[in-house]
Amino acid sequence: MALPSGLAWPVAAFAEDSTKIYRIFWVSTQSQPDPFLDGFREGMRALGYVEGKNVTFELHYAPGSPQALREVVADLRRGNIDLAVSSGPATRAMTEVKDVPVLFALSGDPVALGLVQSLGKPGGNFTGSTFLSLALAGKRVELLKDIFPTLRTLAVLSNTNHPGEQSEWRATQEAARHLGIVPLYVPFAGANELDNALGLAGDARADGLLVFPDALTMVHRSKIAQFAIKQRLPSMFGWSEYCDAGGLISYGANQRATYFALASYADRILRGESPATLPVVQPTKFELAVNLRTAELLGIDLDKSAIMFRANKVIE
Amino acid sequence: MTRPRRSLFVKYFITLFVAVVVPVILGSATDAWFAFRDHRLHLNELLQVEARAAADRIQTFTDGIRDQLGWMVQFPWTLGEDVRRRIDGLRLLQQVPAIVSVSLVDPTGTERVFVSRVSLNRTGRGADFSEDPAFLGARANGVWYGPVQYQRDSEPYMRIAVAGNRAAAGVVIADINLKLIWNVIAAIKIGDTGHALVVDDSGRLIAHPDISLVLRSDGGSGDFNRLKSVASAANGSAVATTGDNGKPVVALSVRAANVGWTVIVQQPVLEAFESIRAALWRSLMLIGIGTVLAFVLAFWRASRMWGPIRKLEEGAERIGMGQFDHHIAIESRDELEQLAIRFNQMADELAASQQKSERINRLRQFLAPQVAELVEHSDQRLLDGQRREVVAIFGDLRGFTAFSARAEPDVILAVLRQYYEAIGAVTARHAATLIRFAGDGVMVLVNAPVDCEKPAHSGIQLAIDMQAAVQSLAGTWNAGGCAVGFGVGIAMGPATVGTLGYHGRLDYTAIGNVVNLASRLCSLADDAQILVDPVVTGHVRDRVALESIGERPIKGYDQALEVFAVVRDDAAIEDPGCQLQPADVQPAYAAREPSFNL
Repeated sequence: MALPSGLAWPVAAFAEDSTKIYRIFWVSTQSQPDPFLDGFREGMRALGYVEGKNVTFELHYAPGSPQALREVVADLRRGNIDLAVSSGPATRAMTEVKDVPVLFALSGDPVALGLVQSLGKPGGNFTGSTFLSLALAGKRVELLKDIFPTLRTLAVLSNTNHPGEQSEWRATQEAARHLGIVPLYVPFAGANELDNALGLAGDARADGLLVFPDALTMVHRSKIAQFAIKQRLPSMFGWSEYCDAGGLISYGANQRATYFALASYADRILRGESPATLPVVQPTKFELAVNLRTAELLGIDLDKSAIMFRANKVIE
Repeated sequence: MTRPRRSLFVKYFITLFVAVVVPVILGSATDAWFAFRDHRLHLNELLQVEARAAADRIQTFTDGIRDQLGWMVQFPWTLGEDVRRRIDGLRLLQQVPAIVSVSLVDPTGTERVFVSRVSLNRTGRGADFSEDPAFLGARANGVWYGPVQYQRDSEPYMRIAVAGNRAAAGVVIADINLKLIWNVIAAIKIGDTGHALVVDDSGRLIAHPDISLVLRSDGGSGDFNRLKSVASAANGSAVATTGDNGKPVVALSVRAANVGWTVIVQQPVLEAFESIRAALWRSLMLIGIGTVLAFVLAFWRASRMWGPIRKLEEGAERIGMGQFDHHIAIESRDELEQLAIRFNQMADELAASQQKSERINRLRQFLAPQVAELVEHSDQRLLDGQRREVVAIFGDLRGFTAFSARAEPDVILAVLRQYYEAIGAVTARHAATLIRFAGDGVMVLVNAPVDCEKPAHSGIQLAIDMQAAVQSLAGTWNAGGCAVGFGVGIAMGPATVGTLGYHGRLDYTAIGNVVNLASRLCSLADDAQILVDPVVTGHVRDRVALESIGERPIKGYDQALEVFAVVRDDAAIEDPGCQLQPADVQPAYAAREPSFNL
């Protein structure tokens, strides 16, 4: 028997327009290949977004050029963009954007950068994730010291274009002083100065190398890691991707997982939630990655140190 | 007149309708009520089970951390073991992801080792915890759960302190990131969209499937506090209220005893009561279908009842108005059809009866009532045209023209009425056929249409009686000062008889010389005279005294005809009688009316 249609439950109509194609503006100071973008795309796919069907990514890379970033931002303000996602330091250039929701994934403190009012209540058009790299800066020095108790001098490679770099350097200095280590600051500004900086770090005759996690060093992670191996320097990085590329140790939040998780915020914003009420996400898990191959190349027996039982990721 | 045309229909309709609908509604309503009650109980149980499960899981979470912390305080503190204790702390961090940092405090309340995921580790004499509530609480109760605190007003943290069995084992104090309870809470699904959440005593959210609500600094604490107080007030049973998302929900709260939190499980009212609502809809649908069916059935039944009755009523009305050919067509195969058949039979009988009475009325115009009855009950062909021997008698008042000129109209009518009555009475007595009155004249036939054994005798006797009757009347009229007489002519011979006319105006009449002859004789007759033609004379000469008045020329006859007159004497003439002899005279009738003899 056919039921009268009036008796059927009214199906909750979704306001979501299925034919709508969302435009997502991806801004990065990196260059492709971009592991962060891959993580974010993966997250979006997991939420049912299909590129070209209901979402398009407009990728804007401005590696190390503030001028290029300004142009990108001008583009963003002209276009009919639903959401901007900024990776790393590019976020700093985005502060002028007020009318488009912006998702960020930052190493630094978004409150200190003035992007959000508080972590719990961003209050503006910005929200996203922070990796709390600043807090971890000292921890990285400590971990290196745990493995190499004889560590006395530490070369610190830092991209000065990276926002918050100075705070990170200060935290590192603090920790080094506490641990009785002399930090050697090797700053560089942009990719052009990297080779030069590596040369300086090599000349410093340090016992170890600490590389601040940053889009630029991320892009050149392989080069840096190989440099460290060549220089027989135990290296410490911020993210496990560096270890994949040959870095000895890394400690920090999982980048890819963070960007993957960021996609759920992108989904909520595209569905109409305001970034002002979406709290900034802080990492819960910090990943300690160890590359045993590199350790072997450096002739280090990590089993002697109290590090292996703490490792979350071991590359053999 | 307004007739209650539809009353029977309405009565039947309402009765049938109510008879079907009331049980359906009563049944469905009872079912729905019991189903609702059962569902309510079931829902309560379901929510209780889920809430307890959630509370248990949270307890398991905190108990797990407590147990892990217990490892740290199994041995008493000895000098120079800080490094080993530090390794223990690091292993603990590795083992329990929710622990962010651990402080190992010696029996004096001094922190000896601190390890953290984020901050720098410390070993050696550190901060003094001897007055810290965590240290004191753990010392007092073995385990101490701190209040929930929100780091940077966003992430929920809690401090758990565990003391060893012996005071010498010291105390371990751990900071727990409660975001990890999310895994516990998010896994709890009640129905499709129901969920569990955890709030602390102040009503601030600790865990929720949507972690961003927890991280939100104000955390919508007002909403959660209200939800908590409403659900707690229900004392372990489900309560309908407004949920954390502003929609109506059914909520139930259970307390996680060790940490003093409240676990609330809630399910949207829409979903919680979906099955019962579906059942209610089914009931409503059944009632609806039942009502429609009852309506149709009642209408059909009442129509089946009312339709034939209306037809009967209408038929009766039409039959009453004389439409006997009206046929009431009812095919209900029940008593009503029988009734209609009876009605139709009645109409047929009425029609037949009316036809008969119409015919009798027609016959009575010119036949004596007895004869009319006789004719009616005999062969109808009596009235058909035929040629037969008849006796024609004509009578005519003399001097009436002069009388009518002088007399008043009412007097004239009175005279004529008396005259007609007299003629009619005589004719009836002799069972003759009164053909017509024409003013003061009258024509009577004998031996048509009813056979008469001796028409001539009967005719002459009729003429004599007629003359006598009119003469006795004329005496009273004459006394009034007017001389009115009466003459009669009688003749016998073949004539064509039958009914003539058109539509309802039919007359029985005779055509032939004999009629003309009788009429001529009547004209010739003087007052009180009866002129007789030779044929009648031939028949009755032996019975009635006749005298010839000589030959008279008669119009229409080539030769003069000898005419006779009845000799006037008052002696009674024997009437041979006119024996009624129709083809099918019934013996009983003949016996009842044996003779018309005088």
